[in-house]
Amino acid sequence: MADKYDLVVVGAGPAGLTAAMYAARARLRTLVLDEGMPGGQVKITHKVSNYPGFPEDVKGSDLAALFAKQAERFGARIARAVEITELDLRSHEKRFVLDEEDEILARAVIVATGAKPKPLGVEGENTFRGRGISYCATCDGAYFEGKDIHVIGGGSSAVEESLFLTQFARTVTIVHRSEAFRAEPTASQEALANPKIKVLWKHEPRAFVGDGALQRLRVENLKTRDTVELPTDGVFIFIGMIPRTELLKGIVPLDPWGCVQTDESMQTGVPGLFAAGDIRAKPFRQITTAVADGTIAALAAQKYLRETPA
Amino acid sequence: MSDTVREIQAGQFEAEVHAATEPVVLDFFSTECPPCEALAPKFEAVAEQFKGRVRFLKIFRQASRDLATQLSVTGSPTLVFFKGGKEFGTRLMGDIKRSELKQAVEAMLAP
Repeated sequence: MADKYDLVVVGAGPAGLTAAMYAARARLRTLVLDEGMPGGQVKITHKVSNYPGFPEDVKGSDLAALFAKQAERFGARIARAVEITELDLRSHEKRFVLDEEDEILARAVIVATGAKPKPLGVEGENTFRGRGISYCATCDGAYFEGKDIHVIGGGSSAVEESLFLTQFARTVTIVHRSEAFRAEPTASQEALANPKIKVLWKHEPRAFVGDGALQRLRVENLKTRDTVELPTDGVFIFIGMIPRTELLKGIVPLDPWGCVQTDESMQTGVPGLFAAGDIRAKPFRQITTAVADGTIAALAAQKYLRETPA
Repeated sequence: MSDTVREIQAGQFEAEVHAATEPVVLDFFSTECPPCEALAPKFEAVAEQFKGRVRFLKIFRQASRDLATQLSVTGSPTLVFFKGGKEFGTRLMGDIKRSELKQAVEAMLAP
C-alpha cells in the first residue's frame, strides 16, 4: 500500500525544511526526502555568520540540525538517506518509489534539491578525488594536519573555508585566477592577514599530478603564461556550485545553467509542482534567500491544495 | 551497528581484508562527517542484502592514519573494494547512493 501525503518536499536543505515547517504547521501531511542527512550545504559549512537571530557565529551543522528539529516539531516527517528510484511528477497525483521498495503518493511536490560543488574540469581531477582532492573542508580538513595544501577559488566559500583549514594545515595557498577576492571584505581581510595563508593571484590550475596519490598541482600564471608544478599534500576546490536538477530534466524547462524557472510563487509550469532554493533561476543564493523561497513555496502549495480537488 | 557490518582496527587489516576468502567492502569514516552519517544506514542495508557473500567492514579514519596514508585515502567516506586480497574496481566517495554501492558490490560478485 502506498503512503499518501499532501506534500512531498524533495531535499532537506534550508529551503526544503522551511517549506516543510510551514506546511506541517498548516496541518498538511508532509514528507521530506533526502539522499543524505538534513541540512543541505549548510551542514558542511563550518560556521554561519549572516543568518539572522544568531549574533554569534553558529556552526553550520548545528543550524542544519535546528532547521530539521523545528520542521519535525510540527509533524513533518523527514526520510533520511533515501534514494528516489521511480518518479512521476507530471500526473495530477505525484508518485515516488524510494529505494525500489516504498511507494509514496503526493498531491503537491516542492523540489528543493539545491546545488552541489562544481568540478574544475581539469586533467587528473577524477583520478585524485578522495586521493588528495576534496570539495568539503569540514569532512576532510582533519586529514591534512600539519600539511601544505592548496585551495582553488576566490569567492566567499574559498576564502572562508581556507580560514577554517588553517586549523589543521601548516600552510594554505589559495590559487585564484583574478587579482582580488570576490568574498566579503571581512573574510578577505582576515585571510590576507593570516600568516598561514598565501595567495597566488592570476593563476589557474591546469592539472593534478601524482603516482597513486596527488603530489603536485600544475598551475598557469595568467600574466606570463608560464606553467609550474607545485608540490602539494592536498587540494580543496571551491569554485562555485551547480544546481541539482537531474530530477526535473524533461519535466520542466531548465535555463542554460541548469536552473529551474518559476513564477514569483515558486510554481513551475506543471500544476502542483513547485521549486525552491538554489535550484531556482535567480540572482542571489544565500541561506536567507533559500528560506524565503521555501516559505513562499509552502504557502503557494497550500493555496494550490485548497483550490484543487484531490 | 548490526552484526552484518563490523568495525575493525588498522592492526586487523591483513587478516580481515587481505586474507578474506570472500570479497570485502571497507568504509573509511570520520566523525563530524555528514556524508558518512548518511552512508551508514545504506551501508547496513546493502550489507544485509549480501550477507554471507560479501564482508562489510568499517574503519575509523582518525585512528588509522597510517593505513589511510598507505592506501592514499584522503577523504571520508571512502569505500575501498577488495577481491582476492587485491583492490578491485573504482572507489566510491562522498555522497554515495545506495544503488551505486549495490552495483559496485554486484560487480565484485560477477564471475
